[in-house]
Amino acid sequence: MTDFLQNCIDGVMFGSGYALLALGFTLVFGVMKRLNLSFGPSIMLGAYAGTWVYLNFSQNVLLVVLVTVMITVAVGIYVERLCFWAVRRDATIASMVSSFVIWMQLEEVAMHLLPERTYPFPAFFTSTVIDIGPFFVRSEHISMFLLTLVLLALLHLFLFRTRPGLAVRAVSDNPLASRYMGINSSNVLFLAFAVVSVLGGLAGFLILSADSQVTPFFGLWATFKGLIAMMLGGMGSLPGAILGGLLLGVVEANAFWYGGPVVRDISAYLLLFMMLIVRPGGLVGQRIVAQQQAAYERV
Amino acid sequence: MLNDYLLTVISNIGMISLIALSAYLLLISGEISFGQQAYFGISAYAGAIATTLWGWPLWLALLFGSSLAALAAGFVGLLTLRISGLYFSIATLAFAEMVRLSLFKLSYQLEIDGELIGPNGAEGFGEIRWIFDNDVSVLEYTLLIYGILLLVLFCLVLIERSRLGMIFRMLGQDPLLTRIQGLNPVRYKVTAAILAGFIAGLGGTLYAHSFTYIEPQIFNVMLGVHALAYGLIGGLGTVLGPLIGVAIDIGFLESVRVFQGYRMIVFGGLVAVMLIFMPRGILDENRVYRLKNLAQRWFRA
Repeated sequence: MTDFLQNCIDGVMFGSGYALLALGFTLVFGVMKRLNLSFGPSIMLGAYAGTWVYLNFSQNVLLVVLVTVMITVAVGIYVERLCFWAVRRDATIASMVSSFVIWMQLEEVAMHLLPERTYPFPAFFTSTVIDIGPFFVRSEHISMFLLTLVLLALLHLFLFRTRPGLAVRAVSDNPLASRYMGINSSNVLFLAFAVVSVLGGLAGFLILSADSQVTPFFGLWATFKGLIAMMLGGMGSLPGAILGGLLLGVVEANAFWYGGPVVRDISAYLLLFMMLIVRPGGLVGQRIVAQQQAAYERV
Repeated sequence: MLNDYLLTVISNIGMISLIALSAYLLLISGEISFGQQAYFGISAYAGAIATTLWGWPLWLALLFGSSLAALAAGFVGLLTLRISGLYFSIATLAFAEMVRLSLFKLSYQLEIDGELIGPNGAEGFGEIRWIFDNDVSVLEYTLLIYGILLLVLFCLVLIERSRLGMIFRMLGQDPLLTRIQGLNPVRYKVTAAILAGFIAGLGGTLYAHSFTYIEPQIFNVMLGVHALAYGLIGGLGTVLGPLIGVAIDIGFLESVRVFQGYRMIVFGGLVAVMLIFMPRGILDENRVYRLKNLAQRWFRA
């Protein structure tokens, strides 16, 4: 029982990173109803640029954070303009494939920047183990968790307390109606991409610095963890993304403890597959699916 | 001129074309699958086990592997009937990753000629020696691959010209319209999934025997997404589309060695720009239609 609870604590800590990635996916998917596969790789390129600066110029961690986030945003905007803004609105598959080939491109750029397989990534916090009763927590996980909470609060403020945030929500709710209200959906898309890239860059930095290394597999890893967490929680739902991320973290931590790395990955995918078959809307998104179903029946 | 290296590239194009065709079949019937590599992998393992461990002839192994792949595809097709769009894509991705990860746990070895042979988890499955044991040259094997590819293409052309193909495309354009026509979308969705699984399976067994070594890592999601991309690059208007996509990626870039190391930077950029102007690929429905008209006029004149 103690093991199980310990795993849950670890899972929640790490799941907060997944939650941030899933939020990125949900926000962008909500606004444009198209899938951006190169979200993970753009974070990876940002992190690679950060590592490159760390190795060649300066040991200043704040500078690394800044470079990581800035490059992630730049790449995010590049992807948005090339794969989503320029491609016809109704060509959803074309956008997805386009974002996929750009993923390959970004990976190659990253490999030119840092050709080795692994690089050390600067840790933001010193690593100590804190005992709480029978449990112990790593301090960098706590700080990652707390910073995630801060980021979530900021995102909430942006979405629910500012006018641009309102526009983002309006477009994702009903693109046609929001156009009648005079909202420029192209600008909103751009804004959403920028916000999500900032979020993604910070999430990438937090996850990597808790791991203290960066590898070329991070792009694939981030894209698919984010996707899984989003689908688990429910596509298009913000609380769903957070819940999905935490659930994924908890399940993975337990499966890893009891069965090893292969079982951890299988259990995550099995959970997702089952969820999609039994309850496509995920934990909280069932309402969205029901709405679509109702609209379909009405036609 | 036709050296072994070139032949390997050519046969590689043929085998990857089969998985691209399977993704294409699902694309035209309106589903985006991230998981065709699962059927490719299932068949690669099953076919290779059949020839190396059980001593079956290749044609029987080919049939066995592909049928098993089709069975799995039909099973997934039935399970995913209720979902479509991105839900379907992610469900197929989850299934494919489960298959790949299960292969890491698969260990089934028999002693043949004093050696332990068979799939062994992460170490993979080597010594798939059917080609050597039967003295099949690279050229002959390439011809076999292309024979099968041509057969599949022929069947697909027949399907596209038939009522079934029409229904697939209608399903892809508008599932509601299909229902209004009094057709049961469920039946055709599962049919498309099974056919696609079988085609991917053919490629899988051929692949295992061509490379003589397979491991779970080959059948990762990259293979599936590439297969999907080929159809879209080449065009969704004709079965030749996926082949064009594969030929452009593997053939063109293998031959142009100047881009070494910058391959994906150049290729990725080119494809992204191309998709802006041709969102349904080089040979999309309109262009195929116009080409057909042109050809007809040409023959009449």
